[in-house]
Amino acid sequence: MFTMNRRQFAGLMAAGLALPKTALAQSDGSKTLTVRFYDDPAGFDPANIFRIENENIAFNIFSGLTSYDGQTGEIIPDLATSWETPDNKTWTFRLREGVQFQKGFGEMTSEDVIYSYNRILDEATASPYRSTLASIVTMEAPDPYTVVIELDAPNGGFLHTVANYHQGQIVSRRAIEEAGDQVRWQPVGTGPYYLDMIDVTSRIVLKRHEGYFRGAAPIETIVFNIIKDEATSTIALRNGEVDLVMRANREENLTTLRAEGFTMNSVMDYAVALKVLNPEFEPFADVRVRQAIFHAIDYEAITGAISPSLSQATNSILLPWMPVYSENIPTYPYDPDRARALLAEAGYSGGFSFRHLGTSAQGVTELQQFEIDFLSQVGLDMQMELVDTPTFNQRRNAGEFQMATRLLPAVDPDLILFSYLHPDNTVPGGLNGARYNNPRVTELLHAARAAVDPTERMALYEEIQQIVMTELPYVPSYANNVFWPGKSTVTGVHINYLAQVNFYDVDMTVA
Amino acid sequence: MIDYAIKKSAQLFITVFGVVTLVFFTLRLIPGDAASAMAGDTISGEALDLMREQMGLNEPLMSQYFGYLRDLVMLDLGQTITTRLPIAEMIGNAIPVTLSIALLTILLTVVISIPLGTVAAYMAHKGRTRLDNLLTGFAMLVDLMPSFWTALVFLLLFSLTLGWFPASGMVTLDDPAMFLSRIALPVLVLSVTQIATMARITRTSVLEILSEDYVRTARAMGWSEFRVLFRHALKNAALPIATVIGLSFGNLLNGTVIVEFIFTIPGIGNLLINGINSRDYQLVQTLIVFYALLFVSINFITDLVYRALDPRVSF
Repeated sequence: MFTMNRRQFAGLMAAGLALPKTALAQSDGSKTLTVRFYDDPAGFDPANIFRIENENIAFNIFSGLTSYDGQTGEIIPDLATSWETPDNKTWTFRLREGVQFQKGFGEMTSEDVIYSYNRILDEATASPYRSTLASIVTMEAPDPYTVVIELDAPNGGFLHTVANYHQGQIVSRRAIEEAGDQVRWQPVGTGPYYLDMIDVTSRIVLKRHEGYFRGAAPIETIVFNIIKDEATSTIALRNGEVDLVMRANREENLTTLRAEGFTMNSVMDYAVALKVLNPEFEPFADVRVRQAIFHAIDYEAITGAISPSLSQATNSILLPWMPVYSENIPTYPYDPDRARALLAEAGYSGGFSFRHLGTSAQGVTELQQFEIDFLSQVGLDMQMELVDTPTFNQRRNAGEFQMATRLLPAVDPDLILFSYLHPDNTVPGGLNGARYNNPRVTELLHAARAAVDPTERMALYEEIQQIVMTELPYVPSYANNVFWPGKSTVTGVHINYLAQVNFYDVDMTVA
Repeated sequence: MIDYAIKKSAQLFITVFGVVTLVFFTLRLIPGDAASAMAGDTISGEALDLMREQMGLNEPLMSQYFGYLRDLVMLDLGQTITTRLPIAEMIGNAIPVTLSIALLTILLTVVISIPLGTVAAYMAHKGRTRLDNLLTGFAMLVDLMPSFWTALVFLLLFSLTLGWFPASGMVTLDDPAMFLSRIALPVLVLSVTQIATMARITRTSVLEILSEDYVRTARAMGWSEFRVLFRHALKNAALPIATVIGLSFGNLLNGTVIVEFIFTIPGIGNLLINGINSRDYQLVQTLIVFYALLFVSINFITDLVYRALDPRVSF
């Protein structure tokens, strides 16, 4: 295996006793940030990237035509400096000049944009994000800094499609061709950091891209240290082994870290968990029953009791920070009497029993135990049907349940609304597990997507939300929050609504 | 001896072939595959099918099976399905890590538990039961402590409070100091349980021997108690102890799976968990074949040690 002499052994004993701390500033004054990464990386090719932690690396390596503001969540220019569309159908993007790819792959031009999108569209790439670009009819590059894209139908949300995420990330043709089947491990983009070194079982090292178009980032090196266990990562932060913990998701660890004065970087209302009610189960076909269920459960009390940092009650299918979110919707405050009355009106004064699909891996969660208790107080008997995870996924996708839960993180409100409400997305083909099919809503969805005038657009989205929150095909149970606790010396950690941090904004001071 | 080796090799071949076949088919019986494990549940069936095609999961099962057998015979372990990494290299990097943990644990266990068990047996033999009771109590207690719990307690104590060992960081043989300080806690966690078991077995075996006639004879010949205990009693008690060491090596390989997860040690247990979670058939089946080979080899080595320890044992 390996051998060592006596001096090496002595040095080793000394090293074992002195705990290695992360160097805030190295001797040459350059900064190194150490971040906890929670799983083995699975690669960073935009065409087939999965899971938030991998996406966060790619988010810093690549750029899109647009991006998201870390604090407001608004769409901001990235590789495109401006864009225009007369009808939400033909989009003209003006590109930034002189943008350099990392590792000497040259200037990024409109040809690269078209190549990147065509690569996703190419069936041979087998990208799961192909369908997001499938509405593109033509793409043209009249000059190196202009891209004109024509869609088959108006889509006001197209700026989300070309954002710095999945299919929207711009790659270099030469880099892709040179990497062959190792593209996922040799990403080359135009973002603030490039991949310097990776050891798939222990760490990922990013170095700043000196030629980044906004100027070089404040921190030279970011080391992502893989620590899978939550408790271990908490200890690593308290120990000073890491400066920042990517996604701490245990309430008790957050409590400890907060008490010790760590900075609790967070984003609120990241995504909403919905109860999916299958109307093929007769009682759920009655709108009064669905409303009664929402009235019967006190989600504010439940989230406050089990995870006050990580979740809170919410009242809509959309999230409050979305520009098209409306407050002008029916709400269902905790009111067991009202719930009983609604059930009686629907002919279920004696209550009924139903099954909620869950995974045996999670068991009956604390949340569900509370739900069972609240529902029993209005005469409803919720029984958990626990199956193994792949079976759960398969049955939930096929719509074989009476009640199930779904959480769909998205920045684009259309993604949530179309997935859940459009009849084309009815299970088993899509996520519309409530089999919702209201022609008025379908019409509104298309009209809202096509609308160019902001006031008109808002009015259409508001009407959708009002109808949906009245008919309640889905019951919103809670919205969750994402935390990246870190040392107080680390600043600028803004988690966006894709749960990602743009490390260009992050800086650190020597304590 | 040569006959024995040939017979053993043939047995090994049949065992491994059986394992390969069984693992290949049972793995594919588990619901879900690499494509669905990777893509989660938010992409369309059409996109999922494209991914399956790309990953070669749509090929007929038997052609996948024979392709796999052919590659194995050619010693081509291939790439992982989901991440396109060379499996031979991944396992090659992971083996030294896990083996170091297992061997160091056994070393630490033997060094502590055998003298401890021997002395306890001696005390018990002499009717002084305090150490004996203490040992039995300790053994019972640690047997009841699950390793994921011990691991967290040790992390809090040795890493956070005392600051002796780091909770995270690279584990590579290029940096032996860091390597040892990173595997120290896993070794300690695994050793605690092993020491308890092994000390108990040693105590029982030695105690039995101590009332044998030849021990009395040895004493009668005027040899020191120390020599009687360690040269005669312990040596004759070595056979069951060797068996337990062989068996515990197998247990250790199981134990490292949990401990490697908690301490993020890039050993084969970690690879296996990852492979199973991502339904990476290629990786999992190769690892299981490796485990099978390892277990068969351990049994083989235990057999050889038996022969060395006791000339009466023949095959």
